[in-house]
Amino acid sequence: MPPGSLTRMPDDEPTPDHDGDDGRVVTSYGIASAVLGVLAVAAVALAALIWTQHRSDEDELQYRTRVMQTAADWTGVLVNMNKDTVEASMVKLHEGTVGQLNADFDASVEPYRELVQTLQSRTTGQVDSVAVETIHHEQQGAAPRQEQPELAAFAARTDTVMVVATSISENAGGDKPRTVRWTLRLDVSDVDGKLLISRLEPIR
Amino acid sequence: MRNAWRVAAFDVAAPLAAIAALVYMGFAMAWPLWWVSVCSILCVLIVEGVIVNVVLARRDAVTVGTDDDGPGLRLAVAAVTTVALAAAVVIGYLKWTVPDRNLRNDTDEVVGIASSVAEASATFTPQSPTESIDRVTAMMAPQSAEAFKNEFSAVAKELTSRNVSAQASTVSAGVEAIGPTAASVAVVMRGTQNSPGKPPDTAVLALRVQLSQQDGHWLVDDVSPIHSR
Repeated sequence: MPPGSLTRMPDDEPTPDHDGDDGRVVTSYGIASAVLGVLAVAAVALAALIWTQHRSDEDELQYRTRVMQTAADWTGVLVNMNKDTVEASMVKLHEGTVGQLNADFDASVEPYRELVQTLQSRTTGQVDSVAVETIHHEQQGAAPRQEQPELAAFAARTDTVMVVATSISENAGGDKPRTVRWTLRLDVSDVDGKLLISRLEPIR
Repeated sequence: MRNAWRVAAFDVAAPLAAIAALVYMGFAMAWPLWWVSVCSILCVLIVEGVIVNVVLARRDAVTVGTDDDGPGLRLAVAAVTTVALAAAVVIGYLKWTVPDRNLRNDTDEVVGIASSVAEASATFTPQSPTESIDRVTAMMAPQSAEAFKNEFSAVAKELTSRNVSAQASTVSAGVEAIGPTAASVAVVMRGTQNSPGKPPDTAVLALRVQLSQQDGHWLVDDVSPIHSR
């Protein structure tokens, strides 16, 4: 046997009373165990990393679902406004907003309110499609998006959602029902865990 | 002191880590029935081993971790635990990390395809009536491409006879729903139609593009208007 490959027999080891004794020789079993221990610790760390990553991905998907649900609910109220329910709907919509849209709410939704009031109609609307925006191009000729620094201060994040909806207004006079096609872009902000609409932009 | 470390590592931490690894694999695989069975058996074996170890420790005052005459058994415990943990990492990576990453990549890819298909389907030039249709059908599944071509050749003829040209550009696009093999994307575009002697007519078009994954490629199954009427 070549020198150096000899391993000490276990009974050669110092007795446990001499704890911390420098004379102790680590056996090849000990070295192998130590290597495996390091591997095991590394595996635990990796497994923890994989799990946290997966959780955050999962949370992100759930959050997006909530964002889409919020946008769909808000638009649902908007496209279902009747002349009788317009005031109640307006209050409900106003409560769901934050930031610039909340401050200028009356001006922003004035066109929709007028539409409902002049039509004097019974409207039933339905949301056809909701999606978190992945591709975003500014509309030509539209005013550039105003940044909302004061919103960024208290909103954890803001996502842009596109909503497509259709509403049909049946006029009291018995005219042909009028179809309104809505294509909207909504910003949904997370304010203290509550999702609120912070921007309303019709796509024309 | 040294014995305390060995007890902590080999007699306590190792079985706990092995059980944790088995349960972790169960979560990653969403607990299939066979794993519920295998995992229970292995966990019972581990617990049995721990009980035997405790009983023998009370009798002989030496455990697997501290037995200087049994380094082989100690190494075996370390090896089994490490294998279990490594398997947990591999399973976690395959069942969680890879699908999550694929979903993210697919989301971007699918929206890009849908946007270009939707734009092409709303684009028309009388000089080359089939150009944009060909561009759309190139990205479609063969059976849908045939139907799409038939549907649009009539429209194309009519537009050619009136010498109408149309362009569209995407304003907004996003994924409505996506899974590992199917996706639905909403695309909102601004379309412009130019016909001779008339001012250009612009309109907002909302299209839903449905895709499915075949042999690792996303192909378009259907393009339809979103507005219900």
